[in-house]
Amino acid sequence: MARNTLKLDTKGLEPLIKKLDSIGGDVKGAVNTALTKAAQTIAESTENAISTTNLPAQGKYSTSATKQSIIRDAQVKWDGDTAWVPVGFDFSKPGAGGFLITGTPRMKPDYELNKIYKQKRYMNLIQKGMEEIILNSIVEKMEG
Amino acid sequence: MKENLIQILSTFGYPVKLQGTISQNEKYPDSFFTFWNNDTYDGSHYDNDAISFIWNFTINFYSNNPALVNTVLLQARVLLKQNGWIVGGKGADIPSDEATHTGRSIDALFIELNRGDENG
Repeated sequence: MARNTLKLDTKGLEPLIKKLDSIGGDVKGAVNTALTKAAQTIAESTENAISTTNLPAQGKYSTSATKQSIIRDAQVKWDGDTAWVPVGFDFSKPGAGGFLITGTPRMKPDYELNKIYKQKRYMNLIQKGMEEIILNSIVEKMEG
Repeated sequence: MKENLIQILSTFGYPVKLQGTISQNEKYPDSFFTFWNNDTYDGSHYDNDAISFIWNFTINFYSNNPALVNTVLLQARVLLKQNGWIVGGKGADIPSDEATHTGRSIDALFIELNRGDENG
């Protein structure tokens, strides 16, 4: 994983994962689906944010290279019982837009990207979406 | 809350600026802090009102001295925690506009009880 790559993990999903595991459900499959869909949503939101005309510094950072550095089709990684998926920008690629999230001393953080990566509301929605996928797996398993 | 943050960071003796407010032609100070208020949201609620507000800030430290970049933000982390701030992790590297300067960044939260005065 490139340095500073943002990641989305299964923290906060443990109670649902435990429940799914306890009834013999496909934990790995459900978690992989939840994280993959969440990462896809974040990638789409990021692309939309980059595509706006309101980027700081008169959009001079909105290059095609920056768009290319958005992480898409990310693979879920497992470290023991926990899983994570990289999201945001691939810092190893040229034009990576991580600085659009953080801003620089001469450039304010991009408002749309800040909403995605730094504000609670957006990530709450992502979290809810992941919970729903795990919950559906529990219901399907229980209903046989 | 911004005033409280600026006051704490100012004790280190470096300039404290809002992220993005150094102009294109202005020279970077040798070392300085920047900050950005990412979000301020309600904590819990009672009787149709917020009991508390949660302030979410990103705090950055930039310097032309790499040794300071690695140590000052960690010292700021300690001081912020001593003053009631919640600071997760030890930060991450962030880019600057100047090849001479490197930076590190941390996120910090402050839980402000709602006293009904609605002042930041």
